[in-house]
Amino acid sequence: MFHKPIFPPTGGVERVTVMQGQALASADKTIEYSTVLGSCVATCLFDPEARVGGMNHFLLAEPPAGLGGSSVDEHYGVYLMELLVNEMLTKGARKARLKAHLYGGANVNRNMMKIGSMNADFARKFLANEGIALMREDLGGTQARRVDFRPVSGQVRLRTVEDRLAPPVQPSARPARSLGDVELF
Amino acid sequence: MTTTTRILTVDDSPSMRALLNHALSTQGFDVSQAEDGMAALDWLAMNEVDVVITDINMPRLDGFGLIERLREGSRHRDRPILVLTTESSEEKKARARAAGATGWIVKPFDPAKLVAAVRRVSH
Repeated sequence: MFHKPIFPPTGGVERVTVMQGQALASADKTIEYSTVLGSCVATCLFDPEARVGGMNHFLLAEPPAGLGGSSVDEHYGVYLMELLVNEMLTKGARKARLKAHLYGGANVNRNMMKIGSMNADFARKFLANEGIALMREDLGGTQARRVDFRPVSGQVRLRTVEDRLAPPVQPSARPARSLGDVELF
Repeated sequence: MTTTTRILTVDDSPSMRALLNHALSTQGFDVSQAEDGMAALDWLAMNEVDVVITDINMPRLDGFGLIERLREGSRHRDRPILVLTTESSEEKKARARAAGATGWIVKPFDPAKLVAAVRRVSH
């Protein structure tokens, strides 16, 4: 079940760290995705029928000049979410069956703007717009989190960790290769 | 006499459709939207359009299938079709080109570049 905590990793499990800006999916029961989140948000998606799961990890920056209208770079956020959904579909998942968990989005540094909350709001809004069921969220607060996720069973283990273990707040900027380049044939 | 350029965007993500609608309609384009290739074919059977912008990964009928179906008949043989996708592989780009796509745009899209491309292919 997606909502049950998992047991500590046993032999034969390969732990894969999901880095900021990444979106990974797998149908391999020996894989466990793992990430540490401060202000960043991780989306875990799971298709219980296909037994496929995936995780992304992001912290969106403010939108580039001329792309105002929202507090974070929604174009890049939608892109990162679509990458995860497409990875899931490639492994055999169906969008209508997807269930989601959201973690992270802490406002770790009290002197900064509430960038964690803004990223959490974006993720919730995206799932609602896409009709993807949000089964569990653990968002906000001021503490860093560690999330371990088994993609085939959908099991999650969530722990709070010391802030120093979370990656520094460096919002995801669009990669140079993804600037909306146009090629006319 | 100037006429408004009519665009059909085809994408299964409501979030992406909202971004596209905002980016294009605020620049004066007449924007219609379909959620996959089949819905696009149904809409195109009843409506006229100047440019089609389509995603690749969609249920029922994907972007490749949509382009192939549109190029089969005479009505949309010369219609500009821009592919807008998260796909970065050269193989998929070559497949889109072979199917008859007019251009290839990588997400996340830049609204200014997208609008410039639409203007270029629609004139």
